[in-house]
Amino acid sequence: MTRRRTTAGRTWVTAGSVATAAMVIMAGATPATAGGSDVIKRGGCSGSAVWKLKASAQDGRIEVEGEVDSNRNGQTWRWRIMHNGDVSAHGKAKTKAPSGSFDVRRTVVDAPGTDRLVWRARQVATGQTCRGSLRF
Amino acid sequence: MPVHPLFSRLRLLGAAHRARGTTGSYPHGLRRLLVNPVIQFLAAGIVALLMLLLLVGWLSERAATDEAVKDARATTQLLGRSVVQPALSRGLLTGNAAAVDKFDRQMRKRVLVGDVLRLKIWNRSGTILYSDKTPLIGQQFELDEDEVGVLDQGGSAADVSDLSRPENRFEKGFGRLLEVYTPVRTPSGQVLLFEAYFSYEDVSRRSAEVLSAFRPITVGGLLLFLALTAPLVYVLARRLDAAAAGRERLLLAAVEASDNERRRIARDLHDGVVQELAGTSFALSAAAARDNRGESGSAAQLEELASGVRHSLRALRSLLVEIYPPELTTEGLAAAFDDLVAPCIASGIEVDIQVAEHADVPAELVALVWRTGQEAVRNAQRHAHPSRIMVSVTRPNGGIRLDVVDDGVGFDSGRRPAEGHLGLRGLRDLVRDAGGSLRVESTPGAGTRVTLEVEP
Repeated sequence: MTRRRTTAGRTWVTAGSVATAAMVIMAGATPATAGGSDVIKRGGCSGSAVWKLKASAQDGRIEVEGEVDSNRNGQTWRWRIMHNGDVSAHGKAKTKAPSGSFDVRRTVVDAPGTDRLVWRARQVATGQTCRGSLRF
Repeated sequence: MPVHPLFSRLRLLGAAHRARGTTGSYPHGLRRLLVNPVIQFLAAGIVALLMLLLLVGWLSERAATDEAVKDARATTQLLGRSVVQPALSRGLLTGNAAAVDKFDRQMRKRVLVGDVLRLKIWNRSGTILYSDKTPLIGQQFELDEDEVGVLDQGGSAADVSDLSRPENRFEKGFGRLLEVYTPVRTPSGQVLLFEAYFSYEDVSRRSAEVLSAFRPITVGGLLLFLALTAPLVYVLARRLDAAAAGRERLLLAAVEASDNERRRIARDLHDGVVQELAGTSFALSAAAARDNRGESGSAAQLEELASGVRHSLRALRSLLVEIYPPELTTEGLAAAFDDLVAPCIASGIEVDIQVAEHADVPAELVALVWRTGQEAVRNAQRHAHPSRIMVSVTRPNGGIRLDVVDDGVGFDSGRRPAEGHLGLRGLRDLVRDAGGSLRVESTPGAGTRVTLEVEP
């Protein structure tokens, strides 16, 4: 069993567990968990991969962390972070060992009112997509 | 005889001066220290040094401020043109969150590094479209005249931040700041105001750098100047003190000599001419009585009385010569010396006078020869008890030389003259001023020679 540690909420995730993955896929997106001012959401992609979206306050800004875990190394994914409906950041990333995942961190401005953040990723080769959102 | 009032005053002054010099009769030692010219010079030097430091500090701060402001303006204009302007988007103008995010990331990565501590983008209505202090985004404040002027006319402006203004409330933690404005244009051509904030500590740091660069030159130079000149001032002050004391001594001696002279003249008149004339008058009365009685011998007595009157006349002429110098240019040195030595001859001293032709000698020089000879003859007559005095004026190589030689008791010419015997010393200064020399050679028991020589 492979275990990895994420920075958000110091949550230990069992990435290699098929059963757990299946449960996540079946259950769809999990509710946001708040650790202090952090907001975390997780969910399953259109294939076997899972995603996570986390937002935390940082000096008048919001640090957004998006993650995709496909348990396979070397996959190329296109990703984007949307802030209140517009693309705030986008890019391309590859899943890496040992977990076969990638994550992206970007800081966005804390706009007046509630900020809506969306994390989208699409595997270039297969077209598998992941999409998650939260309000902060 | 009463003491001359000027002499009394000078004597008091002299006493005060001696007291200052020897016993320190000033009420406070500090006061004495303060009137010391060397201390005054050093104090003035230190004051000058402090003033120079202040001036250099002020100038260096001004220069550093100018330089720092110039740099800040150049930096702001460069950042505005090359970083801020290309990153401006329509979404930033409308407050689009994603556009603000992108702009924010670029600004934090490329502008908010190094000297720039804060930045703001304003539109013309005073709304902050962007600031790295995100709570300010969207807030509106009134633009001042300078800011509107930069928006209208371009260029840049710089000023110390007024941290009491509400738009600057987040900058208080930075301390003193320098804010610089410059216009930037959006892709659609709208002019915005880019405002960058710099730490004023840079100005102070630059000022300190400039000051430290100049300090060794200014302070070191002045200290070196003081160190070099202080000993010179000390020596000069000592010389001035010595010269002033010498002048005072000479003046006192001159006044004392004059006083003594007046007393001597009075005594000479009383003991000599007055007594002789009194005797002559009694003798004349007696001769007249005898003549009335028809007694013989009046002619011989009258001849004797006439001789006495002539003697008195000679004595009076000598006295006149002593009281006031004769007309040397018309009558010459020989006649003057003849009159001068008459009392010596009368007292049985053999006098030999030889005076060379001196019509071409300047009157001042002739007067100097006369005064020296007068002083030497008087000294010989009063103190040497000579049997012979020789006065000789010669013209070696076109110059003039006076020798007054006596065969009197002499003295040790290596010893300083006693207080009050300063006549020849006083003359020595005059002789030196005229470019000549005065020598007094004497040995106890072997007479004295006074020689004055002035080269042509």
